[in-house]
Amino acid sequence: MTTDSISAGGDPRRLLSYVRSLAHRVRLDQRMTWVALLVLAAVTLVGIPFDWLGMTVHCHPDTSCEFARRGVLYYWPPALMLAYTAIAVSYVRAVRARGLGGRVLPYTIAGAATTVVFTAAWVAAALYFPSHPESMQRLSYWGLVLDRLVSPWSMIGIALLALARLERNIGLLLFTLVYLAAVLLVLPMNEGWGLAGWGLQARFAVPQVISGAVLLLGAVGFFRAARRLQR
Amino acid sequence: MTAATGTPDPDAGHPVTGLDEVVHQRARLGILTIAHEARRVEFGYLRTQLELTAGNLSKHLSVLEAAGLIEVEKGYEGRRGRTWITLTATGNTALTEEIVRLKQLVARVETTNGQ
Repeated sequence: MTTDSISAGGDPRRLLSYVRSLAHRVRLDQRMTWVALLVLAAVTLVGIPFDWLGMTVHCHPDTSCEFARRGVLYYWPPALMLAYTAIAVSYVRAVRARGLGGRVLPYTIAGAATTVVFTAAWVAAALYFPSHPESMQRLSYWGLVLDRLVSPWSMIGIALLALARLERNIGLLLFTLVYLAAVLLVLPMNEGWGLAGWGLQARFAVPQVISGAVLLLGAVGFFRAARRLQR
Repeated sequence: MTAATGTPDPDAGHPVTGLDEVVHQRARLGILTIAHEARRVEFGYLRTQLELTAGNLSKHLSVLEAAGLIEVEKGYEGRRGRTWITLTATGNTALTEEIVRLKQLVARVETTNGQ
């Protein structure tokens, strides 16, 4: 069986390059990035009516309003758990059909962990802020960013960082960093956004629509890139 | 052909002396690399990626299995027979050592060329 062995005097550089290209090929074939983004986009967009209908708003004569986003708290934890399960099952089935093993478990664990963090933070906030309304008004800029960080929309991004590491996917890493910058620093996920006269529910829906659209566009982009690579 | 996959001998000066013939072969190195990246790989995927005939691939798999570097598991999915290959811990070590030696060889060649 040594007929086509590479002799000791063969080119080790070419052999190393061969090993790297094979490893890269396998990693490309193991990727199912678009599935994860599509499922997360669907969860984000489906969550909007839950937030809208589950939100309780009490406005005072001085035009200030108190609100509680109960819909987010009831919808997102089970929705995220179902989403990560669906992503893991889709990954394993698709990769197995290609004749490979998968590496999706760490992403699923990261997803579950971030869901627990978000749920714990929102439950704590729901218990604390109603009796300390002044604390919410005194939140600094970075306090608001931290508040956005523990939101489900940011937690999706944190878990996507784990997927980018797992897939060694620079494209997904860059996409996730842009997405996280948007939901943490640009989109007012915890303040709402919209035209004068819009209700609080509509103002909170706008950043969620943008977040869902970004994830959906990402899914389309990664799907097209994957198709192009397979040709 | 030696089936042993021992650790590199630190006293063996040139990296070539530590090369394992079982691993230091293009197709078998390819099998180990793919199995390492994929954790588990199917026979058909290996055949396509390595551009080998079924018979040739089977021979290489037998060599690696005999050396304890891979495990071969045969089964069915529906009516379709499928063969899955998994890298063993010994196979993982052998692959890592082979790559280290290849890098040493490249470094040695570059050093020699630079002089």
